Amino acid sequence: MVVPTADSSDETLAARAAAGDDRAFEEIVARYERRVFGLACRLTSETDAPDVLQNTFLQVYRNLPSFRGESRFATWLYRIATNAALMIRRARTRRPAESLDAFMPRFDEQGMHADLPAQLQVASRADEVIDRQALAEKARAGIARLPDVYRDAFVLRDLEEMSTTDVAQVLGVEPATVRQRVHRARLLLRGYLSDLAGVKR
Amino acid sequence: MNDISCGSGVELLMEYLEGVLPPETNAALEAHVAGCERCTAFVASYRETPRILRTATAVELPADIQESLHAFIRRLRS
Repeated sequence: MVVPTADSSDETLAARAAAGDDRAFEEIVARYERRVFGLACRLTSETDAPDVLQNTFLQVYRNLPSFRGESRFATWLYRIATNAALMIRRARTRRPAESLDAFMPRFDEQGMHADLPAQLQVASRADEVIDRQALAEKARAGIARLPDVYRDAFVLRDLEEMSTTDVAQVLGVEPATVRQRVHRARLLLRGYLSDLAGVKR
Repeated sequence: MNDISCGSGVELLMEYLEGVLPPETNAALEAHVAGCERCTAFVASYRETPRILRTATAVELPADIQESLHAFIRRLRS
């Protein structure tokens, strides 16, 4: 796809695509296809991600005329992509995921960390002590073990690096709720990384 | 000086990092962490967790999937 519109804003492209400019729609696809695929892999699986990708751009194509610019175009598109991912995920009958609760930080009766500093910092080096391929597999498996609402918030906020405000818009919840969910996911996954990196408890 | 424990401090970390804590609580948390080796280690690993998982779960869009998408879009418009 050769597109001469690389310097146009998303909103300009969206308006042109909505008016029937195919080149503008191709440019939107070119800008977002990688990010949508990445998001889809993180919210579903690599098996389901191609369907999420296709459904997302189908919905974007159909709904462009109703994009009114109330949110940024990127946020609007991410909401469509997230909903496409959640729809496919709901259609899958899944075994209940094994809880990550055992990886929550532990405190003594005075509220002091029960682990020593050397143990507490091990998660920081998970990517140095675990083989890259193994870590990629374990990371995906760990994220899939999060309760859905924590997973969605964590993926959008921390893996896709959206702002808390944008994540709140995409998920239709308050920013404080996003923070609470992301925090919980970070605690669980931090403990999970510690465990992978060899901290015994 | 402040009544923040490791346990109550951990619960403030997200809001702390997003800069939405009230100034007094913010200062109390910083004072606790600065004087607590365990919290210093914990906060470092809490901050690194998103980066490690972001890198580990990054994927490329495979060429065949990209081509299927483009073909799908061409059909959509014809």
